[in-house]
Amino acid sequence: MTQEFKVVGKSLPRVDAFAKVTGQAQFTVDVSLPGMLVGKILRSPHPHARIVSIDTSAAESLPGVKAVITGRDTTDMRFAFVDTPRYPADQNALAQDKVRYIGDEVAAVAAVDAETAQAALDLIRVEYEILPAVFDPFEAMRPDAPKVHETEHEGTSIWEQWGAQKTSTSRANEKVNNVSGRTIITYGDVDAAFASAHHIREDHFETSATAHCALEPHAAVAHLDPSGKLHLWLSSMGIYYKRYVIAKVLKMPTSQIHVHKAYVGGAFGGKMDVYPYEICAAVLSQKAGRPVKIELTRQEVFTTTRLRFPTYIDIKTAVSADGRILGQHIRTVVNNGAYRGTGPVVIFLFHGWTAPVYRVDNMRYEGVSVWTNSPVGGPQRGHGAPQIRFAIDSQLDMIAEDLGLDPSEVMLKNVRQIGDVLPNGDVLKSCGLTDCISQAVNVSGWKGKRGRPGSNRLARANGTKRRGVGISTTTMISGAPYYPFASAGIVQLHDDGRATLLTGVVEMGQGSETTLAQVTAEVLGLRLEDIHVVSGDTEQTPVDMGSFLSGGATVTGDAIRLAAVDAKRQLLEIASERLDALVEELEVGEGRVCVRGRPDRCMSISEVVRLSIKETGNPIIGHGFRKILSGTDHYPSLAKGTGRWTDAYGFNAQVAEVEVDTETGLVKLLRATTFHDCGQPLNPQIVEGQVNGCVSTGQGQALLEQIVYDKGRVVNSTFLDYRLPTTMDTPETAGGSVESFEPAGPFGAKEVGEGVVAQTLAAIANAVYDAVGIRITSLPITPDKVLAALAEKKQTA
Amino acid sequence: MKLLVSLNVNGQSYDLALAPHRTLLDVLREDVGLTGTKRGCDDGDCGACTVLVDGAPITSCMMLAVDAQGKAITTIEGLAVNGKLHPLQRAFIDHGALQCGFCTPGMILTAKYLLDENPHPTDEEIREGLAGNLCRCTGYVQILEAVEACRDGKVAAPQEAQ
Repeated sequence: MTQEFKVVGKSLPRVDAFAKVTGQAQFTVDVSLPGMLVGKILRSPHPHARIVSIDTSAAESLPGVKAVITGRDTTDMRFAFVDTPRYPADQNALAQDKVRYIGDEVAAVAAVDAETAQAALDLIRVEYEILPAVFDPFEAMRPDAPKVHETEHEGTSIWEQWGAQKTSTSRANEKVNNVSGRTIITYGDVDAAFASAHHIREDHFETSATAHCALEPHAAVAHLDPSGKLHLWLSSMGIYYKRYVIAKVLKMPTSQIHVHKAYVGGAFGGKMDVYPYEICAAVLSQKAGRPVKIELTRQEVFTTTRLRFPTYIDIKTAVSADGRILGQHIRTVVNNGAYRGTGPVVIFLFHGWTAPVYRVDNMRYEGVSVWTNSPVGGPQRGHGAPQIRFAIDSQLDMIAEDLGLDPSEVMLKNVRQIGDVLPNGDVLKSCGLTDCISQAVNVSGWKGKRGRPGSNRLARANGTKRRGVGISTTTMISGAPYYPFASAGIVQLHDDGRATLLTGVVEMGQGSETTLAQVTAEVLGLRLEDIHVVSGDTEQTPVDMGSFLSGGATVTGDAIRLAAVDAKRQLLEIASERLDALVEELEVGEGRVCVRGRPDRCMSISEVVRLSIKETGNPIIGHGFRKILSGTDHYPSLAKGTGRWTDAYGFNAQVAEVEVDTETGLVKLLRATTFHDCGQPLNPQIVEGQVNGCVSTGQGQALLEQIVYDKGRVVNSTFLDYRLPTTMDTPETAGGSVESFEPAGPFGAKEVGEGVVAQTLAAIANAVYDAVGIRITSLPITPDKVLAALAEKKQTA
Repeated sequence: MKLLVSLNVNGQSYDLALAPHRTLLDVLREDVGLTGTKRGCDDGDCGACTVLVDGAPITSCMMLAVDAQGKAITTIEGLAVNGKLHPLQRAFIDHGALQCGFCTPGMILTAKYLLDENPHPTDEEIREGLAGNLCRCTGYVQILEAVEACRDGKVAAPQEAQ
């Protein structure tokens, strides 16, 4: 379905680009208010300890210190991303009875400058009683393991006024020690599927904790003004989500909190959760009566702002002789760290990123998240997709080899098609998976580059370097029901014929300000430069679900489209009278309203707006709103996987070409060929940027990145020790969008910025196998693992 | 104890009383009031705080402000002349070489030094020249394209609407 567009679908320059190349873009850390204090957090040096006493008297009497707070100031300030009767919130702004990981927040100070604040932290005396700690999720589940959370909180939720049940009928963590969440999803007849299988494989995979590494360290500025209004500038991905949680924690009406606009310097999932430092900034401001800024150090960002969940995955798969998946049994265990965060979500999502890709009629999925005394896991670009796609597509590659088939052909036999209905009821109204795989195979030169199954790969190529190719596929939702559920937009026309777009979206690099302005301009027949964007401010812009769950293009985009359509409707109604034509006969373009086919019967938009204001006072303000899955008012069940979840899924396929140095064990990603189905791309250059960023992050997680723990301590909390890709690692990139149209999205658009990250891992692992015949099942694929596997292969050969 | 220091930033002179331990990064952001220079790590690892000191790129979190006295400091705010963007700034816009924008000032200044020193770099020399500046958003692809578009003294033409 090809449509002709004037603004949408063009690689127009970003509307935030000028501010960003000139240093004018204001991030939270750049905010400076009169009398502003510097806040700092005292953190636990122990992985598990009881707090016996805290003495803040010396810190409080240090000149320049304006406020000191401890757990006594935050006794009832409990919160968490998952906050339901089944999974009650388990984190407090400051530790109450005990600390549960190295980095846990114990106290906070606000002082006139950073040096004084640091000196005050050094003066706080905390007496700890060290408790036995547990770091491994399997050890943590043993009956004799230390309990990370000793008491169960009452099963209440901050979401009750939004329909969450008051009590839960079941508890997830009965019997098993330290289990923070559990998901069990079954459909079909798994036993029968395995009984009838031609071939069964059972494999184990492991992935490491990785860090988001947004270049902007997390920061918050809080100012409780004398009228009682709390002003916030935050490193966030959704201002309305954070405002709601912070309001509940502080027991304030939501509208008494004003989250101001700030550009966000990258997020990748790490700025979604509300963090203790944000609550502390607000409480310190209240206590000191002055604005407070807290800027986390890079080390704090690495250790206390969530990590990708380290995951253990077992997959047992039954296939027919021609490679069709008959049944699958998947078990996952994640190290949740000290607080629940999104642990129960990620174990639900592992299945969520499974069902939309390959059709599996008989499934048993079991996921468990486990508290340990480690840093906390959380959402990170793809939230669970990299882990599960790595495991599933690595195993599918192994199955294809077992059967003597080309893995790309095995994928094509199993992938979902348009019209498929998923086990939870979601319907694929667009699905370009087959095209993505076919085009990635064609453009990458897959067939010519691939080693045939069973061939002696080590004999191919000369010298110490061998090349290989691998393929993987993935998916991502385009928005899901989570507070604030909906997006709304306002488009206001001006008497100069231009327009202002008001949207609650947070611009964190994804390009929403630009793509949403393109949608507005397209509807109104204006140029991109005619649209002024006001975004991400709770007092200036309407509600937005936030830039997580990948709903930006589909949900926010469609709300904005509807707002522009509403403004256009008003515009045409006024013009129709003056032009003496029916509304249906009018069209907009080039800043004018014309009778279709009659360029002599036109009015400029500027004229229409002036006329409207002069005659009726209506300045022409359009509004629109959109909700994912309108008509449903409940979340899908995290524990059972039932319930619809989204209107549209994005899809991708990628072929990775690698070079393995058999002497050093080093793997280099040479080329990534990525084809994606994001519906109609709103701005191809921005889409390309999202894909390139995903490939790079996926490459890092496949080959380089790993948070190293030593008894709960993050050993590599600097960019020097935690290596992420640099320009020296950038592969050649190829690919593009496949022809697709998503009816749920504006002009056919859907998700693109998140899913792509997930397929690079298996694509690389499979390419390494293709190159040298070794199967690495734990990430990252480091030189020592490669050399050990090569040595083992040589020995058994 | 504070020292009286005169800093030359973007051609303007700033007379400041500074504690000697303060970094150039902090002083630029807090005392001079130019927040375009970003703190990404405060360890000299990420390159986000890069400024040019006598034309050479310096991670300003690793330099004491007092040591910058008598030197010409260029920050991102000083790159455009009379409102006219530097060709690299233009190229970053045209090639979509920025997303969140937090690494962008340091990246552009490092690229400026690279091209000032070697106006005809190879692709590999551009990669090496930018290897000290981290970016998590772009995967560097469009950044490399933008810098490549500016080598050999080329000035990117404003992108035409497609």
